[in-house]
Amino acid sequence: MLRDITIGQYYPAKSCIHRLDPRTKIVGTLLYIVSLFLFRSFSGFLVVGTAFAGVLILSRVPFRYMLRGLRPILMLLLVTVLCNFFLTSGEVLWQWKFLKITREGLERGAFMGVRLILLIFGTSMMTYTTTPNQLTDGLEKLLSPLRVIHFPAHEIAMMMSIALRFIPILTEEAERIRKAQMARGADMESGGPIKRAKAMMPVFIPLLVSAFRRAFDLAMAMEARCYHGGEGRTKMRPLRYRSADLIGYIYLACYMATIISLRIWMKI
Amino acid sequence: MEPVRITGLVHDYVTRDEEGNNTETKRALDHVELNVEEGQFIAVLGANGSGKSTLAKHINALLLPTQGRVLTCDMDTADDRYLWEIRKSAGMVFQNPDNQIVATVVEEDVGFGPENLGIPTEEIVQRVTDSLAAVGMTKYGESSPNRLSGGQKQRVAIAGILAMEPKCILMDEPTAMLDPIGRREVLETVHRLNREKGITVILITHYMEEVIDADRIFVMDAGRIAMQGTPREVFTRIGDLQELRLEVPQVTELAHLLSERGIPMPPSVLTPEEFVTAYKEVAGNTEATARTNVVGLLENEPPKAVGRPNADVSAAGSPDTEAEAPVLSMRDVRFVYGVGTAFETVALEDVNLDIFQGEYIGLIGHTGSGKSTLIQLLNGLERATAGTVRYLGEDIFGEGFNRRQLRSNVGLVFQYPDHQLFEATVIGDVSFGPKNQGLSAEEIRERAEWALTLTGVSQDRWQSSPLELSGGQKRRVAIAGVLAMKPKVIILDEPTAGLDPAGRDEILGEIDRIRRETGMTVILVSHRMEDVARFADRLVVISDGRIVFADPPRDVFHHREKLTSIGLEVPQVTQVMQMLSAEGIPCREDAITVEEALDGFGVAGA
Repeated sequence: MLRDITIGQYYPAKSCIHRLDPRTKIVGTLLYIVSLFLFRSFSGFLVVGTAFAGVLILSRVPFRYMLRGLRPILMLLLVTVLCNFFLTSGEVLWQWKFLKITREGLERGAFMGVRLILLIFGTSMMTYTTTPNQLTDGLEKLLSPLRVIHFPAHEIAMMMSIALRFIPILTEEAERIRKAQMARGADMESGGPIKRAKAMMPVFIPLLVSAFRRAFDLAMAMEARCYHGGEGRTKMRPLRYRSADLIGYIYLACYMATIISLRIWMKI
Repeated sequence: MEPVRITGLVHDYVTRDEEGNNTETKRALDHVELNVEEGQFIAVLGANGSGKSTLAKHINALLLPTQGRVLTCDMDTADDRYLWEIRKSAGMVFQNPDNQIVATVVEEDVGFGPENLGIPTEEIVQRVTDSLAAVGMTKYGESSPNRLSGGQKQRVAIAGILAMEPKCILMDEPTAMLDPIGRREVLETVHRLNREKGITVILITHYMEEVIDADRIFVMDAGRIAMQGTPREVFTRIGDLQELRLEVPQVTELAHLLSERGIPMPPSVLTPEEFVTAYKEVAGNTEATARTNVVGLLENEPPKAVGRPNADVSAAGSPDTEAEAPVLSMRDVRFVYGVGTAFETVALEDVNLDIFQGEYIGLIGHTGSGKSTLIQLLNGLERATAGTVRYLGEDIFGEGFNRRQLRSNVGLVFQYPDHQLFEATVIGDVSFGPKNQGLSAEEIRERAEWALTLTGVSQDRWQSSPLELSGGQKRRVAIAGVLAMKPKVIILDEPTAGLDPAGRDEILGEIDRIRRETGMTVILVSHRMEDVARFADRLVVISDGRIVFADPPRDVFHHREKLTSIGLEVPQVTQVMQMLSAEGIPCREDAITVEEALDGFGVAGA
């Protein structure tokens, strides 16, 4: 059933990485992404790889799940690597008509490929160990200082969390509507893109109507339960840093310090 | 404190055009007077559109009076200062379980109200724990609401209200979208809260069975309170209730009809047990008072098979139909959801079923029993994991079988009409099916008009938008949309869900008439035994993915214990007849309608 499919790709396990405060993980992931762009030679990957491997082992997420995360970007990865292979000028190693591979191209392609893979690994690590809810909470808390400049942090977090709740419901409903129209002989599978887009109208319109109705109902139900924005609201499960988060931040600081110092003194 | 005091309440819904001019005023509430005492269990009854939901929204200050005054827990709803205090004191549970749950985890949803009220964290946790315990949902605290049944979701919604520590709970048709098990769960929960915690309950519904335990009933009609009193006082006025598109429990109706025919039954019988006690007393008294008609009745054998209103029922399994080839047949069908994933579930197992031309099949089972899957297998929307489904002898997943053609021969009307209505006009929408069949413009129009006439949609509605119609009208248009393809078999999934009693009877009557006029095979999916008992030739009872019975209703109802064990109930009148007969009182034990039961007492038509 569609409702059972969780959004995102949370991997349920009880590890110390799972238990970290979502803010720690969000900040960590952001810094990790920045760090990937701080060096230009392969030796930098050694540091990143080691640091990441440590987290991976602690998280108890199987490595094959990391590989699975690569699947959606496989094409992008391939194009990036091949473009670099063929389009970089330098010492020619192999040539066939206008296609040539250079030493610099090979190096650059491999470098870009590994960087992209590590980038995906890092963000997957966050989504595998943090539920969408925790992510929303973390973002709300991290963005809340921006309230001073009237940035609606609470409202955005509330919208995200409602979206998370209703996406599976609407997905299931779309499937039911599709079936109801197919039962009336609607043909959704054949024809060109325009014909198929037109064939989606009988599904799209009822879905839209239903989404509006749900939104209206939900707004009323929220009002009836005294919702009036983020003002004066308390939290049932407020985010609280624990000692593990301190260790996490220290680990992160050491990691960043290593990368930056290597960059400055070793020119990697 | 007085939970609710309403004086002279008027509410107008005003439609405005783009310039803000008042184009239409609809009076939804018309001088309503209503008082509720603390700790009472109040029921507000009324047909669809009678104004009962509007009334509830006033008590919760979701709407403000056009005229008059509403005091909720002694606070005027028109006074802004009290707004949050009112909503906290009179919590509201809505009809659609999905559309009122905000969070993705049960616990967090229950905590939503207190969070909004700014309650300190530790206290929220305590309130959430207590509220979940009070509705019996403790072990689902960390579940996703999406995995709960409708009844469970409504209990979560009630817990969400309880966590705000209300004095009063308002429930706006909380059971309309639930199956019988879910309904029972929800009602037992609110009754317990009312009894044990002294919380005032205001239940809005059109199911009469739900209100027999209420302290006081208000019946609404066209924005006014048309009747009020205790259930006994209100239910004796059967004629008036029927005029307001409502009904009374079958036993009450039977007792009433008996007393009209000279058997002195008390007029306010509300439960089967009361009926049996009262009838025994009446029968016992007869010797003393020597009322000949009753004595005569008791001495006579009950007229068993005489004058069965639906005598053609017996044709279902008789030799002449067996010789005929079935329209649809399922052999050793098994269906598994999500094969190869962590969520693999067996939905159907070992299903063998033959359906013959012209039959009226009632398909009964709970949510999750597999009945929706079964009907989708019949028109090829789903493919069986194992086994075969045949239409007129041909395997519907065989080589070269045209499944789109099949879908116009085996029409399927889904439960929610809103899921299929999408065109700008009613007639345009009904034309969608025939258009897909590739008919000429002339034929399409003819078919659409024929179908709309057959389902009783009046001509002046044909050009209006389907979204503007009432629930019952939408349902008719949805059915017409499938009928217009002229199917040989029509499958209807819960066609009466959410309709008031009169609307329900109208739709069922309509379906029966269509079947008689066209000779179509009808498969009606329902979880209301009373709905299918009256018309169906055969009942197919399904539980946990297996077919338990596939026999004429009378035969199925013999197995009351088995039905109870899978959470289904025989019609109330059948239950009473079986109870009487167990006490040795002669009556028609196999009666499945009130008319048959009357007939069994030998007083029909008297």
